[in-house]
Amino acid sequence: MSTEPQTPATGTETPVIAPEMTLHPRPEAAEPRPWVFPAPERSVLGNGLTVLRCHRPGRHVVAVELSVDAPLHAEPEGLDGVATLTARALAEGTARMDGEEFAAALERCGATLDAQADHPGIRVSLEVPASRLEQALELVAEAVRAPAFPDAEIERLVANRLDEITHELANPQRRAAMALYAELFPAADRVSRPRQGTAETVRRIDRDAVAAFHAEHFRPATACAVIAGDLSEADLDGVLERTLGAWGGTPAEHSRLAPVASDDAARVVIVDRPGSVQTQVLIGRTGPDRHDPTWAEQVVGIYCLGGTLTSRLDRVLREEKGYTYGIRAFPQVVRSGEGGDGRGALLGIAGSVQTEVTGAALGDLVAVIRGVADGGLTADERNAAVQNLVGVAPLKYETAAAVADTLADQVEQGLPDDYQAHQYQRLAKVTAEAATAAATAAFPLDRMVVVLVGDASRIGDEVRKLGIGPVTVQS
Amino acid sequence: MANPARPADRTAAPRGSGAFTATEHRLGNGLRLVLSEDHLTPVASVCLWYDVGSRHERPGRTGLAHLFEHLMFQGSASIPGNGHFELVQGAGGSLNGTTSFERTNYFETMPAHQLELALWLEADRMGSLLAALDQQSLDNQRDVVKNERRQRYDNQPYGTAFEKLVAMAFPEGHPYHHMPIGSMDDLDAASLADVQAFFRTYYAPNNAVLTVVGDIDPAQTVAWVEKYFGTIPGTSENATKPAPADGTGLPPVMGGQLRRVVHEDVPSRALMAAYRLPVDGTREADAADIALTVLGAGESSRLHNRLVRRDRLAVVAGFGMMRLAGAPSVGWMDAKTSGDARIEDIEAAVDEELARLAADGPTAEEMERAQAQIEREWFDRLDTAHGKADELARYATLFGDPQLATTAVDRLLDITAEEVRAITAERLRPDNRAVLVYEPTGAESAAGTEDDATEDEDR
Repeated sequence: MSTEPQTPATGTETPVIAPEMTLHPRPEAAEPRPWVFPAPERSVLGNGLTVLRCHRPGRHVVAVELSVDAPLHAEPEGLDGVATLTARALAEGTARMDGEEFAAALERCGATLDAQADHPGIRVSLEVPASRLEQALELVAEAVRAPAFPDAEIERLVANRLDEITHELANPQRRAAMALYAELFPAADRVSRPRQGTAETVRRIDRDAVAAFHAEHFRPATACAVIAGDLSEADLDGVLERTLGAWGGTPAEHSRLAPVASDDAARVVIVDRPGSVQTQVLIGRTGPDRHDPTWAEQVVGIYCLGGTLTSRLDRVLREEKGYTYGIRAFPQVVRSGEGGDGRGALLGIAGSVQTEVTGAALGDLVAVIRGVADGGLTADERNAAVQNLVGVAPLKYETAAAVADTLADQVEQGLPDDYQAHQYQRLAKVTAEAATAAATAAFPLDRMVVVLVGDASRIGDEVRKLGIGPVTVQS
Repeated sequence: MANPARPADRTAAPRGSGAFTATEHRLGNGLRLVLSEDHLTPVASVCLWYDVGSRHERPGRTGLAHLFEHLMFQGSASIPGNGHFELVQGAGGSLNGTTSFERTNYFETMPAHQLELALWLEADRMGSLLAALDQQSLDNQRDVVKNERRQRYDNQPYGTAFEKLVAMAFPEGHPYHHMPIGSMDDLDAASLADVQAFFRTYYAPNNAVLTVVGDIDPAQTVAWVEKYFGTIPGTSENATKPAPADGTGLPPVMGGQLRRVVHEDVPSRALMAAYRLPVDGTREADAADIALTVLGAGESSRLHNRLVRRDRLAVVAGFGMMRLAGAPSVGWMDAKTSGDARIEDIEAAVDEELARLAADGPTAEEMERAQAQIEREWFDRLDTAHGKADELARYATLFGDPQLATTAVDRLLDITAEEVRAITAERLRPDNRAVLVYEPTGAESAAGTEDDATEDEDR
């Protein structure tokens, strides 16, 4: 193309190309401006509903997180998925309107509504412009208080869920998660099975099952609503009284979340996915959750191991070897409450690597973990991690939704309302030695389950040679 | 224009654009700078948009703009190796870059007291990338990008569907015919000389827009920008960058239906389509956006109600819009079948819904819902410093005027039901679409790649 500037051929030897600009030394930071995680105001409505309100000036999209004490372990035997279907069916009609009308009324407010069932309970999430908060909350209140659960809609939701499962089974990430949870946790624990049920269990769910689950578990006395956003214009007491305050129900004890047991003896499970051009890797075991005094140390240690592109795993697997687009290590709370043993988190390493280098990539991954245990994390690594984890707080919590989500997580996990506010002080105190110890304890090489979703015929032999543990292949 | 469908109470809603203003500056070397103050939280966001995307790529070098974006994180004269990531994250910031058909952007969101660091970093790589760029970085990031392609496209069910639709919607030789991710062969072919030439051609202050939004002191920010960016030479006038081949010269409608059937190991049948829509920046594009929202966004849309709720033919069914400024925008339909439902039945239902909207237009309630949803999406975007910075940069880069960002939501709310009806009748029709049908092969021919795809056309 003649319009392009001519470039001298440089081959592989790179001559130094001097910049024409004036280069400057790196600037120093200015004085940090104060920021604290917001303190919510806690109250209880006449019907027993706990309310956490958090005024965030200027945030015109208000977020409401309603946590209902309907945990997955409360699902009746053989009906895995009934909590999910109950959550979804809330929006399928009430005494006043059918499902289509309900969806239309919500969207007319400019609102989004989402309801998810997870191990601690059902979470109903609303986002709406502040000026329409009351109309939207009225709809949410109606849905949790008096859902119609029409037969035909439940039947449709069941069919829809069965269709979704077909798609999930074809997705490498979902396949890996299903296989890891099934392998790691005892079959009798609800945690071992897919949160939204399997085809076998979902097929059994009908209107009666959904209505019974709702009747038994939806009570204001054991629920909590977190409301964050610009609340300056709202008469929030009045709004709540007229909406969620009108939700009746008998008092009940909050359910207890049992500790999580797991079998993390080192082993490898290959889920055969013929033709895969990459292998999806998911390594996991269980360990300290937020109730454990070493949580902050673990957060720093796992960040140093695999929290970002400059952490140890990506430094080798991505930035040196080019085996992957990215590998991340993370702690994720699965089921944790006040009465637990403080070990309800899944500690995981996840990413996907090119099929041809699966064995080599896993070998490097093991070497990186061993390197942390043998040589320890450096003070520079610890500093970078802590500065990031503490420094990003004002960015991370810019929106009302992010604040509400964290506050609702705290409530579900039985943590004090000022937990996150104090977390930053705890992070700042973590030493490199403590972070090393936590990262090493998080991923001992003889105690972790390795799941690989990929082409077994092409990766099996290489993986066996690594000697991580016994290898089984699932089709 | 007054909108007859707009309810009276809408005036009570907070307007995202109300408190949103921006000032503009231009450096001697041509760098455009846009500032917007927002002191709600101690955060400052920097966006740097370069007016180069995959539409500028030469034949045989698809994917080069995106591969280049990765190389921008491999160090520059003052910053070794992964220093960009290390310094920003170590300062409590977050950062990334993205490449689209039309532009490449880089962004940092920082605690406000670290803003100067982000400006220094962006200036250093704009002016001195080639001092650090070497063959080793290129080879490494080529492998990373190929793994990005595998992860996001080749190893996912239906992962290359959009790529296939785009290739049909924009004919061979059109600058938007290929996706920014590029092809494996072209990624392999990219040489150090290619990326050096790419940098010299497109990475210059007079081909970029810098936006800074948040808890900032505007005078101080301008001074820092002058200090760090001011000495970077602009590209001279006789070496102006080659314009991409004109993407807007296509006829307004395709004039016939393109159709392709792919046999792959996917979980269910799927019907997807790409419609040719008006170029972004026009009232017609905004009208099309509302039409697609009414038809296919959210739980109360016509396609969801018809296909998922009533006829139970689909597990998901919806529409999306890819707004394009340098080519016709694309309306993207995606329906995955439920159970054994047939593609013909879904297609007939979709066509009926399109014809009904083209004939009668949206109801007043539908207009109200669609506009309320679009308005909330705007509030969401403008609720963060990064969201504002990104929108300002988008309008400055693609339309030459950042102020358009502050009024974008008002323009969408001004569209009438009749405009929505008209654009539906004009554009959302069978002779203006590329159709992609997936037929599952089942596990036995599991290779499931392009190799066993068959093609047919019924133009």
